[in-house]
Amino acid sequence: MNTWLFIGKKLLEGIPLVLGVTLVSFMLMVHFGPDLTYSLLSKNASPEAINEIRSVLGYDQPFWQRYLHYLSELLRFDFGLSMVKDQPVSTMLQEAMPVSLLLMLPGFVLGNLLALVLASKAAQHRGQWQDKTIMAVAVMGMSISFLIVIIGFQLIFSSSYGLNWFPVRGWQVFDAEGHFSWLAYAKYVTVPTLAIVFVSLGYNTRFYRAVLVEELNKDHVTTARAFGHGPGAIQYKYMLKNALVPITTRVLFSIPLVVISGSLLIESYFGIPGIGMVTYDAIVAGDQPVLKAIVGLTAVLFVAVLTGAEILYRWFDPRIALK
Amino acid sequence: MTAINPSIQPPHASLWLKSWQHFKQDRIGMLGLLIVLLYFLLACGVWLGLWGQGWSEISAQFNQGPSASHWLGTNAIGQDVAERGIYATKVAFEVGLVVTVLATLLGVLLGAVAGFYQGSWIDALLLWVMGVLDSIPFYLFVAAVAYAMAEHVFAMHMAMIAVFWTTVARIIRSEVIALKQLEFVEAAQAMGQHHRAILWAHIIPNTSHLIIIQTTLIFVTAIKTEVILSFLGIGIKNGISWGLMIAESTNDIQAGYFNNFLTASLLLFVLVIGFNFFSDALQDALDPKINSHHAK
Repeated sequence: MNTWLFIGKKLLEGIPLVLGVTLVSFMLMVHFGPDLTYSLLSKNASPEAINEIRSVLGYDQPFWQRYLHYLSELLRFDFGLSMVKDQPVSTMLQEAMPVSLLLMLPGFVLGNLLALVLASKAAQHRGQWQDKTIMAVAVMGMSISFLIVIIGFQLIFSSSYGLNWFPVRGWQVFDAEGHFSWLAYAKYVTVPTLAIVFVSLGYNTRFYRAVLVEELNKDHVTTARAFGHGPGAIQYKYMLKNALVPITTRVLFSIPLVVISGSLLIESYFGIPGIGMVTYDAIVAGDQPVLKAIVGLTAVLFVAVLTGAEILYRWFDPRIALK
Repeated sequence: MTAINPSIQPPHASLWLKSWQHFKQDRIGMLGLLIVLLYFLLACGVWLGLWGQGWSEISAQFNQGPSASHWLGTNAIGQDVAERGIYATKVAFEVGLVVTVLATLLGVLLGAVAGFYQGSWIDALLLWVMGVLDSIPFYLFVAAVAYAMAEHVFAMHMAMIAVFWTTVARIIRSEVIALKQLEFVEAAQAMGQHHRAILWAHIIPNTSHLIIIQTTLIFVTAIKTEVILSFLGIGIKNGISWGLMIAESTNDIQAGYFNNFLTASLLLFVLVIGFNFFSDALQDALDPKINSHHAK
């Protein structure tokens, strides 16, 4: 199949998914959500004021018109004002996004790289004590809830009951003149990073080991070994490259999980003003404009990333185009 | 995996027996099973009213350490931490069981239908629904459902069921697609059986080992998720759960009281690790591919 045709087909396939996720978030947040009329009005409102608010909120319009309005909000990245803070939702998100990225990125990268190292150690010594130890520790790591890791690590590293090396809460990464300070960043990002690495390591190691063991059993790897290639060359040239499709899928699928779910817990607990904190505040306060923006945007973003990934796979593995 | 000589293939019932014998040899798996059974007894005791009933009683002994009358100490308003932890075990099992049973049922039904009518409009529709549900970040979905249902008691359960069934459905769907091309299905067709009868009587029973594995995975995910959602305030509404205990404990910790935190997190950790051991051993014992590997 022609590359452009393939790309076009994948993009077309993404449209029903985008419509689906936006429809679900619209139904949950806007259509079936609580009636906001009275939370926006003062006491003893006149019937005219009630009607005015209802028409501003769009309650007098038919279902499809309101859904299309929600779609246009997503497209224009304009969700109006937050109900709690008198601030445009889009500004809040724009300010919070870089914070979340800076916070989650080191842990995400380290968690995957460390897992890959451990998994190749385990796969190399398959069935031996090294493998058994690494996998047993991985299961134990998987069994500790993220929540407990966060609270425990804060206790150990940032409180007077433990080592007390790092700040307990906050995100003061800019110095007095407003410049980004790497030292301050390192101080605030270390404990969250340790928590992210700890939590993701078990799952990632198990996954990478499974992928590597499957590749190890393949005939071309046996052949490469028979030809006398070293274990390093075999691992990188013949195994990892071939395993890029499942690995990319895994990494991409874990992005929404890590960025949204992970930052939700970490940011609300460490008081870091990123997307997770904005989401947590909106959940607690029932701030509908913020919630509908975040739910809709992340879902659409995820579909976009998936579609992009499927196009990338063709580059990794040209056989995919034949299917 | 296709048996070359049908005479050495054991009869149906002994396949389960063989799996059980395989499972019994896995000492870590047996330990996991023991842990899960102990927790189940603990939960049953609460259901029967044997223990854990005084979880909400307030006393004048605030933040006490462990003692003979309060085994694991008390919390900031003088409630017995051990009683709360035990009662929360029951809550965790309730969430786990409700979510597991309903999500598995839904996943098996819809996955089997999608796989059996592969390529039809119903398959396309179900795949679309699964794709949509998998694309919405899970905690946001729960928050959205909680919001839409106006803080309904079962909003969390509904949201988990609505998301967890898709994994089961995808696995059952691909297994049904593989199974329906096998000879025994063709034989049933040749004998004139209705296609619905073939699906229920011949294909779905052959996916039971996968269904069992999935139930253990969903159960443990549901319990872990409940803790996080309750901590965030969108989980358990009535009663006490490990997540709520941990949420409470964030204030105690700053004052140097760890009763709540240690009790809830240890109870959760031991149950989850027991379940993970059990589930891993079960996968080894039930997965025919791995079984044939061991035989070599």
